[in-house]
Amino acid sequence: MSGHHISSAKFLWGVGISLLILTIITVGVAFIEIPSPWNIVVAIAIALVKASIVAAFFMNLYWDSRFNLLLLVVGILFFILLIGITLMDTLYRTDPLPSF
Amino acid sequence: MSQTSAIDQLTAHVQHHFVDSDQQFESAKMGMWVFLVTEILFFGGLFAAYIVYRAWYPDLYIMASEQLDTFWGGVNTVVLIGSSLTVAMAIRSAQLNQQKGIVINLLITIALAFVFMVIKYFEYSHKFELGIFPGAYYTFEGIDHPQANIFFSIYYMMTGLHGVHVIVGIGLMVWLLVKARKGVFHSNYYTPVEITGLYWHLVDIIWIFLFPLLYLID
Amino acid sequence: MATEETARIKKLQVQRYKPEENPKVHFLNAEKGIWSWLTTIDHKRIGIMYLASIAVFFFIGGMLAILLRTELLTPAQNFVDANTYNQIFTLHGAIMIFFFLIPSVPAALGNLILPLQLGCKDVAFPRLNLASYYIYVIGALFTLTAIFTGGLDTGWTFYTPYSSTTSGSNVLLMTLGIFILGFSSILTGLNFIVTIHKLRAPGLTWSKLPLFQWSLYATSIIQVLATPVLAITLLLLTMERALSIGIFDPNLGGDPVLYQHFFWFYSHPAVYIMIVPGFGVISEIISTFSKKTIFGYWAIALSSLAIAFIGFLVWGHHMFTAGQSSLANMVFSFLTFLVGIPTGIKIFNWLATMYKGSIDMKTPMLYAMVFLFLFTIGGFTGIMLGALSVDIHVHDTYYVVAHFHYVMMGGMVMAFLGGLHYWWPKMFGKMYSEYWAKISCAIIFIGFNMTFLPQFVMGSQGMPRRYYNYIDQFQPFHQFSTIGSYVLGIGFFIMFGYLLHSLLRGKKATANPWGSRALEWQVSSPAPQHNFEHTPVIINGPYDYHKPMSEFQLGIAGSHNGHGSDADISQTNKEQAADKAK
Repeated sequence: MSGHHISSAKFLWGVGISLLILTIITVGVAFIEIPSPWNIVVAIAIALVKASIVAAFFMNLYWDSRFNLLLLVVGILFFILLIGITLMDTLYRTDPLPSF
Repeated sequence: MSQTSAIDQLTAHVQHHFVDSDQQFESAKMGMWVFLVTEILFFGGLFAAYIVYRAWYPDLYIMASEQLDTFWGGVNTVVLIGSSLTVAMAIRSAQLNQQKGIVINLLITIALAFVFMVIKYFEYSHKFELGIFPGAYYTFEGIDHPQANIFFSIYYMMTGLHGVHVIVGIGLMVWLLVKARKGVFHSNYYTPVEITGLYWHLVDIIWIFLFPLLYLID
Repeated sequence: MATEETARIKKLQVQRYKPEENPKVHFLNAEKGIWSWLTTIDHKRIGIMYLASIAVFFFIGGMLAILLRTELLTPAQNFVDANTYNQIFTLHGAIMIFFFLIPSVPAALGNLILPLQLGCKDVAFPRLNLASYYIYVIGALFTLTAIFTGGLDTGWTFYTPYSSTTSGSNVLLMTLGIFILGFSSILTGLNFIVTIHKLRAPGLTWSKLPLFQWSLYATSIIQVLATPVLAITLLLLTMERALSIGIFDPNLGGDPVLYQHFFWFYSHPAVYIMIVPGFGVISEIISTFSKKTIFGYWAIALSSLAIAFIGFLVWGHHMFTAGQSSLANMVFSFLTFLVGIPTGIKIFNWLATMYKGSIDMKTPMLYAMVFLFLFTIGGFTGIMLGALSVDIHVHDTYYVVAHFHYVMMGGMVMAFLGGLHYWWPKMFGKMYSEYWAKISCAIIFIGFNMTFLPQFVMGSQGMPRRYYNYIDQFQPFHQFSTIGSYVLGIGFFIMFGYLLHSLLRGKKATANPWGSRALEWQVSSPAPQHNFEHTPVIINGPYDYHKPMSEFQLGIAGSHNGHGSDADISQTNKEQAADKAK
């Protein structure tokens, strides 16, 4: 069948090992005292890298039709909209009306 | 004669409304990606609740997170990443017509998924012993915060829903295993393995985010 | 007639295939017996089953509405008490929205027409399609059980903390029922997205896609992105009720406004799920019955996508008085004004399409005209509600009730009825009585305005919604509105009558009674079981009324996926030689 990318076993193992290393880094970073909110930023950033590696090389998005990548991006975008706009209410509840 | 029947065998899986095997495969993959997007939004609601309450009660999250065992959470992360690797290897075996490879890799994936659920079981039962139940049944005295039950409600919802997805994944892969042993999958047709693999990777990705957000709040 | 495909390697054998008139075998009778219907994977049969189901629920929801309005004839109790009244309006809303409007055009008409218009044999995942229908049925059964074992009195919006703590009704079963139903919506959307991307006929580029398809595509995007959030909201509500997890209950440290955020993140895009397919139907009808190319094709196509996107950003306009931050209020109000723009673009394009067209005022076109008038009123009043200063006064009054009935019923239901009457010959191979159809349309139009126009006035004067009793000054309005609802009911009964007559004794329809250029009209009526015997080839847009019908009846010779067998090629060579000899 055309267009079916077959990764080598070595490559897949390489991806797996890099994910393990990133997991160790994730835990390690948690023990370092980073002021809030940057500690959350760092943790999410590492998680994003891991997720991107899984999506690109285990789920084959790197070699797949661009549209599937677009689907993922759009899903994440709307997820961010859900959280961002909700926070626009919940974070600013007690603030007084801004003056113009 | 035997040539046409060999071709028929290779194309027997093509459904009547598809032109060829490729169109069917690509459609199945696109369909699964659309479904994964719905899963992202589904869990997204829970992540939204998490973020809203963390912004309101940051101290609660720091205190409550101490009740979550970082070590076993880390082990579970490694277990799931390993299972993602083995399911990717199972797909690779299918692409290379290695029926034995498919079976063995699927078996290891299922085993790792079971390990994940067992660890989860011990985590939950330890909490129940302490009186950390969801919602109205919360009786744990160890956290000095009036909204402590809310953190654990969110914890149970997120990890519980994730656990349900793991169990569904196990069910799907057992079904795949049965079919693989019958020799249903070959390099021309391994679509169910591919799309179940995609589902499983998303379950892994969700945990990749759950782990630092729940266990590693220092 | 043979055409060469220059860019590709192989030659395609393309011939003209005229649809068979009054076929003996078609999708309705190709397989017989109830089991063949229950286990069908034919999208057309699934569409018919959806159509029958939503008709039943429309009837139930409508009866509940009549009960409601009859109770409101006088301020005092007429024949139900206050608690029962609460249950009636809750069920009316939940049934109409979830079991009628959401599946109406996408699941019923969409399933029937989408593959035919795209030139393919079925949707991408036919078995999933059947599963979607059964999920709908199971969700409906849960809901009906909930109705009969305790009912529901929270309003269709299930606001906490009433729904999660005090309500004595069967919230749990109902939320589970709708949770299950949500999957039907998601899977249908998924199916349509993949079908539109992957299964279009050769030559059907995005620029030739009918606007009905664009609208179904936009709707499917909304279904796929919004419904999961409803699912998690209902799951959280169920947990809240069963385990008191506390995130929506202020007594337990939670926030009830957070529930409203989650709920409306789905439910506002849901109203676009309900209306955008209707827009697509109107595009088809207006173009066909004006015998004219649609004006502003890309404007209408892209505005569907714009509505889908902006629709996700405005949900807070349902919560202006709920206790949101002022910042959120202002942002949502501003974005709400934006979302009206793409809709307005469509209305102007439709009017421009009709200008200097050859208007044929058949029943579908009549419904389209009714739609334009009623939906414009509904849309304008929506924008008015989007203004913060206005909404403070009219939130939770009959003004809101009138607004959404004008858009949902005056808009969507009219568009649905237009689509039903437009594609009726294609679905059943029968025509209906134009005379009675037009009378029914007129009665429905009059009844609708009688029912809901007074409600605008009432609401602006302060009559609250969902109220069982009221002060005397509103009684004339209520009574006028109730009489209007009876007139509306009569209109629908007449419709049921002539449609039933059409099924049993109607005149047989030709393949293309309206002279449309769209692809579904180039096959016989009713449609053949496998849609197309020969893969269609598209060389013109679907609204090219200036081209002859023969150019829309092209297909690839069936064998070898169009690359032709020797017999086909020699036949074509013979025809070409014969043409040359002339």
